Amino acid sequence: MNLTRSAQRFLADKLTLEDALPTRLPVYVSSVAYLFGVTALSALAVLVFTGVIMALFGPDWYHGGQAPGSGLGRFVNSMHFWGAQLFFFALVAHIATKFAMAAWRDGRWKTWMVGVLALGAAIFTALTGFLAQTNWDSQWIAVQAKDAMNAVGIGAFFNTMNTGQVLTLHIVALPLLLGLLVGIHVFFIRSEGPVKPINGKQ
Amino acid sequence: MSKRTEEYFKNVPMKPYDLLREGLIVLALVMVIVVILAAIFRSPDYPTVRGEDVANIQPIAFLQTSADILAGNHGVQDYGPPYTSDTENAQSLFGVAPANWFGVTTPVDPAQDLVLNPLQRVAILNSDVATALQEYEAASPDQQQTWASAYLDGLDQATVENGKVNIPPGDYGPVDEMMAGMLALGRAGLLEGAIESGNQLPYSLNDTKSLLFFQDDVDAAVAEALNMKGDQWGVSNETGRFPGAWWLWPYAFLYQIPPMSSSPNADLQAVAIAFAAFLLLLLVPFVPVIRSLPRQLRVHRLIWRDWYHRDGTNGRGQSP
Repeated sequence: MNLTRSAQRFLADKLTLEDALPTRLPVYVSSVAYLFGVTALSALAVLVFTGVIMALFGPDWYHGGQAPGSGLGRFVNSMHFWGAQLFFFALVAHIATKFAMAAWRDGRWKTWMVGVLALGAAIFTALTGFLAQTNWDSQWIAVQAKDAMNAVGIGAFFNTMNTGQVLTLHIVALPLLLGLLVGIHVFFIRSEGPVKPINGKQ
Repeated sequence: MSKRTEEYFKNVPMKPYDLLREGLIVLALVMVIVVILAAIFRSPDYPTVRGEDVANIQPIAFLQTSADILAGNHGVQDYGPPYTSDTENAQSLFGVAPANWFGVTTPVDPAQDLVLNPLQRVAILNSDVATALQEYEAASPDQQQTWASAYLDGLDQATVENGKVNIPPGDYGPVDEMMAGMLALGRAGLLEGAIESGNQLPYSLNDTKSLLFFQDDVDAAVAEALNMKGDQWGVSNETGRFPGAWWLWPYAFLYQIPPMSSSPNADLQAVAIAFAAFLLLLLVPFVPVIRSLPRQLRVHRLIWRDWYHRDGTNGRGQSP
């Protein structure tokens, strides 16, 4: 079996260059509702960008401590905070409009399901983000959220008060998982194209 | 386009499109919005509740917390897994208690870890505390409990004058001296350092025990003042006037209604309902009634109004 040839066939069948980077679209794609997905993706890009900058300079910098340029650090931290707010706003609007469009029709159930899994991963990533702030919010959320984690048994593996684990989950493990799910979601979208409008038949 | 996509769009009129241009425009707009929001509103960064602050600002609350822990009244005392081995208090649903499945993975003995071990450090520096600690540890558990309870009762009558805590005389045994040692430790800003004295020092990447110290009353009082307690929609709130994790509102809502609002198993019940709701959302394409809802809601007629106007069906005719 030639893996490279198989990959070529797979892409030729599932994702041509025109699928991946389309230069034409069905005329029914004409609504602001189609922009929530790309808005969520853009906010995610801002989160990754600001997150990487914060990771480069470290917690003292983005807490606005004594480190050089920490005023800028606080600002990047604020961008990360508002990026998360905008990301979830766009995500909720995206899911709501896709539900209204019954966008899982014509075999697109995989796209819907991977998208919902990505929502779950995003919520958990955000939780670790709140826990990783190392301020009062994280202090309170850590002692509160631990009870829910412990009640379902997850507390045996994930300790909301273990700052090291929380931070590594937030900046490495969970972004990788979220990125993978978003990548698969976008692959399905580009591969299958936008679903046709609902007709009147039940 | 792939053959399959070509087939799907066979009779659909197409229009020119530039994916990268659209993506870059939206990305630029999002970046501008985020920069404006960050510049105007900044972000929350409310300071932590530290032992030093509590010992200096609310010394009686500090002493009550320390004495409560010593008396075995801390919330983790008989919590069960993952902190303690007793399993009867683990949350359960229909007789199933997932918390007990994996046993004790983060052992915590509140009295020992949060009070007696830190006091061992103080004892090295303060002979009065060392003597008190020896007397306390030599006493029977009943005697220890009697002293601690009497001290807690005495604290109810305590006053603070120029930072000095005055407690009415009573039979506190060595507990009075021990608590003075704890207060001094807190005021010196050494409480958390004395608690987190693990094998990885000088590094400390796990703050479990020092975060647990104030969790019961002090943290709860601060949270109540900041509108962040569970019955105030808890973790979905943020300090100040910032939006918090509002996407957790449906989950936080569960804690406001029976049986979760008063149940000792509230967390397990709420997570179980939230998980069921998540599964439902995941399986929407296959759930008969729910997958038909969009046709009833008719929001799609608004989204595709141009198309329906174009084909003259207003959303009631054939799809392309």
